[in-house]
Amino acid sequence: MKYFRLVWKNVFRKKTRAFLTMGSIVLVMVLIVVLVSLLNALGGEAALGSLGASRAVVQHATGLANFLPLSYRQKIEQIPGVLAAAPEIWFGGTYIDQRPEHFFGQLSTDPEAWPIINADVEIDPAQLKAWQSERDSFIAGQQLIDRYGWKLGDRIHIQGSYILIDLDLVLRGIYKGRDESNIFFHNKYLENSWAGRSSQTGIYFLRVKSPDDVTRVTEAINQMFENSDAPVKAMPEKEFNLQFLEMMGNVKLLVRSIALVVLFTVVLIVANTMAMSARERVTEIALIRALGFRRGQVLGLVLSEAVVLSLLGGVAGVLFAYPFTAFLVEGMKHSPVAPFAYNFRVAPLTVLAAMAISVGIGTLSGFVPAIRSSRISIVNGLRQVV
Amino acid sequence: MNQAQIQIDRVSKVYHRDSIEIPVLRDITLTVNPGEYLALMGPSGSGKTTLLNLMAGIDKPTSGRILVGDQEVSSMGEGQLARWRADHVGFIFQLYNLIPVLTAFENVELPLLLTRLSRKERREHVETALSIVGLADRMEHYPRQLSGGQEQRVAIARAIVADPAILVADEPTGDLDAKSADEILELLKRLSGEFQKTIVMVTHDPKAAAVARRMVHLDKGVLSAAEPREMADVRGQRS
Repeated sequence: MKYFRLVWKNVFRKKTRAFLTMGSIVLVMVLIVVLVSLLNALGGEAALGSLGASRAVVQHATGLANFLPLSYRQKIEQIPGVLAAAPEIWFGGTYIDQRPEHFFGQLSTDPEAWPIINADVEIDPAQLKAWQSERDSFIAGQQLIDRYGWKLGDRIHIQGSYILIDLDLVLRGIYKGRDESNIFFHNKYLENSWAGRSSQTGIYFLRVKSPDDVTRVTEAINQMFENSDAPVKAMPEKEFNLQFLEMMGNVKLLVRSIALVVLFTVVLIVANTMAMSARERVTEIALIRALGFRRGQVLGLVLSEAVVLSLLGGVAGVLFAYPFTAFLVEGMKHSPVAPFAYNFRVAPLTVLAAMAISVGIGTLSGFVPAIRSSRISIVNGLRQVV
Repeated sequence: MNQAQIQIDRVSKVYHRDSIEIPVLRDITLTVNPGEYLALMGPSGSGKTTLLNLMAGIDKPTSGRILVGDQEVSSMGEGQLARWRADHVGFIFQLYNLIPVLTAFENVELPLLLTRLSRKERREHVETALSIVGLADRMEHYPRQLSGGQEQRVAIARAIVADPAILVADEPTGDLDAKSADEILELLKRLSGEFQKTIVMVTHDPKAAAVARRMVHLDKGVLSAAEPREMADVRGQRS
């Protein structure tokens, strides 16, 4: 600690340079924290709610564009461990207009099975009952309620896009908790209105007794319909969500590549700053060596400067990352990737990782200047004055 | 070791530039007695600073031995030498070599960071050293806020703060006006007389050399004691 003041004062010897270098670290750390948080969001559990690990999805083996027979439901529900299976259809209609800010999930489901499968969301029992008992009603997530100012009893009109019927629904319930950017309405509404598809569904959304059952149940479902006209792909809910992102390519690889490139760049920037700083202080470094500082101590001092500079940038970067992430989350909530927004947050582990990365940047960038400084010849360093 | 005898025994120093050998010191033998104030004089390039560096343990001879007290400085390893310098040598430079981002207090405190002294003890030592050089009221000033003479006094405080037996000074008045130079020379004289420091000072200035108790002359790396008349002359100039 007694050397800290020396290190601190040397870090801010040239304030403009120190702050510009720190600024570059701050920018990079904001980016790293946001990217790591995004990676966590993409592969995380929070968006799935507390029961996410106990849920699975069954879709057509060839993709979501193909439908599944409704007759599968009974067979799926008979598999030991399955608590409920709800057929669901992604309606994909237009509310107000086609601008992205008016995008939200519109899903038909079985209102009786829905609360069993989604037991980790909050909904007033009276509202749930009202929704279950009224065929043209719907429930909406709190976030949508906040966005549109809907009140119970309000009617909304959604124009069909690829399902060519319009929805005319009345709001009977509001749910809170997991992914609040969807509305749910009765399958029966579609069955009665959508000629030709009354015996089909898009997916089955199901809940099993415990997370340990998921693998067994999904394998059993896959096997069960292997040789049927409509083979299925059953998977955990997390995997189902991820496939939407995989449609955009290997997002994780891209994110990791960007992170590595920016990290490497900032190491070079900080290394350059440290090299300049050390070069300007050859005489001073020779002086402290003459006073009795050993090579290792000089190395430690210069390296500490790089680490302190980098760590300060890291701390500031993390602090800036919080509001920036919140801003991004708000944006995501109104986009097709809304389900991931609920998991998109700066986790304590990410903060720790960011601090470790900061120390790593400092160590890597300060290493060469520190080695060079420690090897300065005292006589040569003092030559101008001794 | 409050006082130490410096013994330079047949010391030579040769620098190598590419394939060229440049002999700087040739077979120097010299003894500096404990508490002695020695002036090293000679023209530029005569090897004064090299000899001073060897005595201070920041350079090593090509041949010969340097003993300080009972320790052979010339055979010490890097780490051992660094520790020895911290314990036994105080440095005073022509351009003061204060660290600009540190206050006078922090500059003086630097050598004490290498000791096991507590923060309170370090503070006491620094205050004492700055009081000796008459700058107790300038502790929080940065070098840029001090005059040249004051900067050199801070440098002297830094040199004495760890109470070393030996002070090496290279042209300590070379960058000062006459009045400040006199103050610094007076201070060095006091450190030699009152505090019994062994002082070896390189100087071009006969007035500065006259303050020393003994003067030796180097020319082309060869040592010669100053002629008594030369000493008398420089003392005459001073008085």
